[in-house]
Amino acid sequence: MKSSGAKYDIFTKLALLLVVVIVGFLIVLPLVNILVYSTQPSGSAIVTGAFSDIVTREIIWNTLKLGVAVAFLGTVLGFIMAYTQARVEFRGKRIFHVINLVPIISPPFAFATAIIVLFGRSGMITRGIFDWRPTLYGFPGLVLVLTLSFFPIAYMNLLGMLRSLDPALDEAGSSLGANKWRIFRTVTLPLLIPGFAGSFLLLFIESIADLANPIIIGGNYTVLASRAYMAINGDYDISLAAGYSSLLLLPALIVFLIQRYWAQKKSVVSVTGKPSGRPTLVTSRFAKSFLLTVTTLLTSLIILVYATVILGAFVQIIGVNNEFTLSHFQYLLGGFANAAIRTTTFLALIATPIAGIFGMLIAWLVIRKVKRGSEALDFMGMLGIAVPGTVIGIGYAITYNDPVKIGGVTIFPQVAGGAAILGGSIAIIMVYVIRSSPAGQRSGIAQLQQIDPAIEEASASLGASGGKTFRLITLPLISGAFLSGLMYAFAHSMTTLSPIIFLVTPDTSILTQKILAEADQGRYGNVFALCCILIVLIMVIGGLINLFVRRTQVSVDRPMVAGR
Amino acid sequence: MSSKTGSLRVERLTKEFGNGKEKVVAVHKLSLTINPGEFVTLLGPSGCGKTTALRMIAGFETPTSGEVLLDGENLVSMTPDKRPMGMVFQSYALFPHMTVFDNVAYGLRIKKMSSAEIKSAVAEVLESMSLSHLANRAPNQLSGGQQQRVALARAMVVRPKVLLFDEPLSNLDAKLRAQMRIEIRNIQRRLGITSIFVTHDQDEAMSLSDRIVVMRNAVVEQVGNPDEVYRRPASVFVADFIGRSNFLKVEGAKKARSGKASVVVGGVELEVAAQEDALTSKHPVLLVRPESISVTASKSAKPGKSEGVVSNVVFYGNHVEYTLNTDEGVILAVVSDPIYEEIVPVGRVAKYSFDEDRAWLLPSESEQATKEDQE
Ligand SMILES: Nc1ncnc2c1ncn2[C@@H]1O[C@H](COP(=O)(O)OP(=O)(O)OP(=O)(O)O)[C@@H](O)[C@H]1O
Ligand SMILES: [Mg+2]
Repeated sequence: MKSSGAKYDIFTKLALLLVVVIVGFLIVLPLVNILVYSTQPSGSAIVTGAFSDIVTREIIWNTLKLGVAVAFLGTVLGFIMAYTQARVEFRGKRIFHVINLVPIISPPFAFATAIIVLFGRSGMITRGIFDWRPTLYGFPGLVLVLTLSFFPIAYMNLLGMLRSLDPALDEAGSSLGANKWRIFRTVTLPLLIPGFAGSFLLLFIESIADLANPIIIGGNYTVLASRAYMAINGDYDISLAAGYSSLLLLPALIVFLIQRYWAQKKSVVSVTGKPSGRPTLVTSRFAKSFLLTVTTLLTSLIILVYATVILGAFVQIIGVNNEFTLSHFQYLLGGFANAAIRTTTFLALIATPIAGIFGMLIAWLVIRKVKRGSEALDFMGMLGIAVPGTVIGIGYAITYNDPVKIGGVTIFPQVAGGAAILGGSIAIIMVYVIRSSPAGQRSGIAQLQQIDPAIEEASASLGASGGKTFRLITLPLISGAFLSGLMYAFAHSMTTLSPIIFLVTPDTSILTQKILAEADQGRYGNVFALCCILIVLIMVIGGLINLFVRRTQVSVDRPMVAGR
Repeated sequence: MSSKTGSLRVERLTKEFGNGKEKVVAVHKLSLTINPGEFVTLLGPSGCGKTTALRMIAGFETPTSGEVLLDGENLVSMTPDKRPMGMVFQSYALFPHMTVFDNVAYGLRIKKMSSAEIKSAVAEVLESMSLSHLANRAPNQLSGGQQQRVALARAMVVRPKVLLFDEPLSNLDAKLRAQMRIEIRNIQRRLGITSIFVTHDQDEAMSLSDRIVVMRNAVVEQVGNPDEVYRRPASVFVADFIGRSNFLKVEGAKKARSGKASVVVGGVELEVAAQEDALTSKHPVLLVRPESISVTASKSAKPGKSEGVVSNVVFYGNHVEYTLNTDEGVILAVVSDPIYEEIVPVGRVAKYSFDEDRAWLLPSESEQATKEDQE
């Protein structure tokens, strides 16, 4: 039912209107306000002095340097892990794969604090074993921690591409006389170039947007996100914060656009026919031992980090006093964190289905309904993830700490801040929704592209309205994507920090914000215990969501896909 | 320009996948000798092991046992890139990031030819396949047939001693497939490259091959030229798989003085050629192809000897198809160039007849199967 100029049915029109309103209030308005506030004196001084002012220039340079370093290292590591996973035969492959994915839903600070405990100035490994006292705070520590946290994005991206390459391509090279090394250079690597570019850009965005780690281990190494945070929490100057936010917003959006509309278009897909044969495995002893060494080291490091988190939660002070204790948990569950646990879980649970359905709705509109402007709609839906969390948080604080008025008429109530209705929790839910719906949108789009549009057309020709078709046909068919969207939305909401810092109120204390406070105080035992609590909550409730959704939906595991 | 090299011998080639209870025998003791320049087709139903056999010859699959010899040299321990063989894949496997020219030049560059030589060799092969104007296109800017030709050009330009094809035409539509069939055969004849072609399409096999290898459940059922496989199939399975068949009930099968077999079909005694095991079989059947049977109207109301009731008639213009219910079983007959007024209508009795030279006596299927199991 994709035809330009054709009239949309009433359901589509309503859905489009809904999407535009939601996107407008949840992300566009806060962004517009950032830009507006950055034209006020202290903000515009920062923006106009971006290249002339030495301090600002250094902050920008720090941000870009960090982004490039993490993007490069993360892409290389992600590729090595993905290539090993796809092309080397070894025992425990599955487990390695799962471990490599864990950092994606890791609570903030788990890596930063564990790395400090392990490799810092008085680290259990650096000092304890090698009697070496390196300084982690600053650039090296940030690169290490961010690379570990974000390489899985590159890993998943490249693993997917490697698996979708037709094995016959390697075989064709081989039957033309090319040895394996030559095939790797002339066939495999060139075909992955779009994947490298895409991973690099994604990692770049993630690392320049990160706020949690620069706060904890940035030391004197200031980046735009942490400087904007300081502008709110130290200078109490909203315009200043808006100025830094604009500077951060610009490269993030540009890189995001390049990634979505250039790198992804570039990807050359396999030409025709059904893929045949099996992937050619690495057999050279040298290559194999290199790949396995890197993979084992990195995977062990991840295990070590999580072991530290778990152990650290159950001993007095890990590395100093390793006596078993439950005191951290007693303290946290004895009152300090109870409210945060309840509020965080509750708000995330409210946001999850909204984000899931919203993501699916946009996916459906983009693929099936909207012809002209579908890319713009897709982009609008992705804004929540393209814009750095810090920028969103500051934008919300600016926009929703007062009612939104046009000509004296309130069009949106005050939803953020302690004086807002429901203690400011609505703003937090809004942030959760707009930050986590893009994941569902992406997987929904991927799944919809596989489903023959004729199936929905059949429903329409049998007399079902647009809304009925969406509910009875489309939703069940994309239920797999919906479920993964829900799981992601919940996990991401539970672990998100950067936008939330600016929105918590006495009535709405949030777990990640508690972790930040404890980490700031150097109470790592509590940090580790909170991380454990967060992980358990995600696993248990995520598991329940999974069960619940699977039980209630008609099982459509293998939707009919379009024949080619 | 027939070359003398390129004789391929395959000896008791076997491939087993998995082990223990999960073990699958994909190819069982395949032995075959292919002469230089010969075009041989591996034909059989899905899953019978054709692809596996071909991939063992190419070197992509390591045989569980057995040997592959090219001009007397054993190739089994040689990796695919060292074997002087070219392969055309079902998915074509064109390198999507290279132009047509670069795809075709790939193998020549590996041979370290000078760029001038490469240019002229590629230009020549593209010219011969009418692809010259597409040299700078990317593979995804080509039609299916053009992609197919590029894949063929890429495999041939390195002058392999053996060309391997795994169902290369199955992604094309019927018309293009027929056209590519002729093209492949002409080029192969001109260059005299030994070729092995895998397909499950009997028309493809019949029209392309010097010899056909019919496979079934991992073993070779028959090797022969197209006429032998069609007229003298080794088993009911082969007869059934290639073309349409009638298997008539026979009585009193015995050896005739001429060396042929003497059988009684529909009360008529015939002398027919026979497969070697046919006379020792308890219930031999007589293979008669539908186009060998002629049908004429009978005056009787009830069918007598060599007669049956017409249960179905389909008129195609250039031929007519009858289905007859007879004492020898249901018979399908195809009468070509029919005269419309003389077609026997449904429900009427018709007389059928065929030339005994066009018939072939076979042991029945079930007996053959049990005999194989005992081996
Ligand atoms: N990698 C493998 N592991 C296990 N079994 C396999 C493998 N490859 C093939 N087989 C099995 O070996 C048998 C022969 O497979 P093969 O691909 O050679 O069949 P084919 O004759 O080419 O069939 P088709 O006409 O469908 O392509 C099949 O039963 C198949 O399931
Ligand atoms: Mg096959």
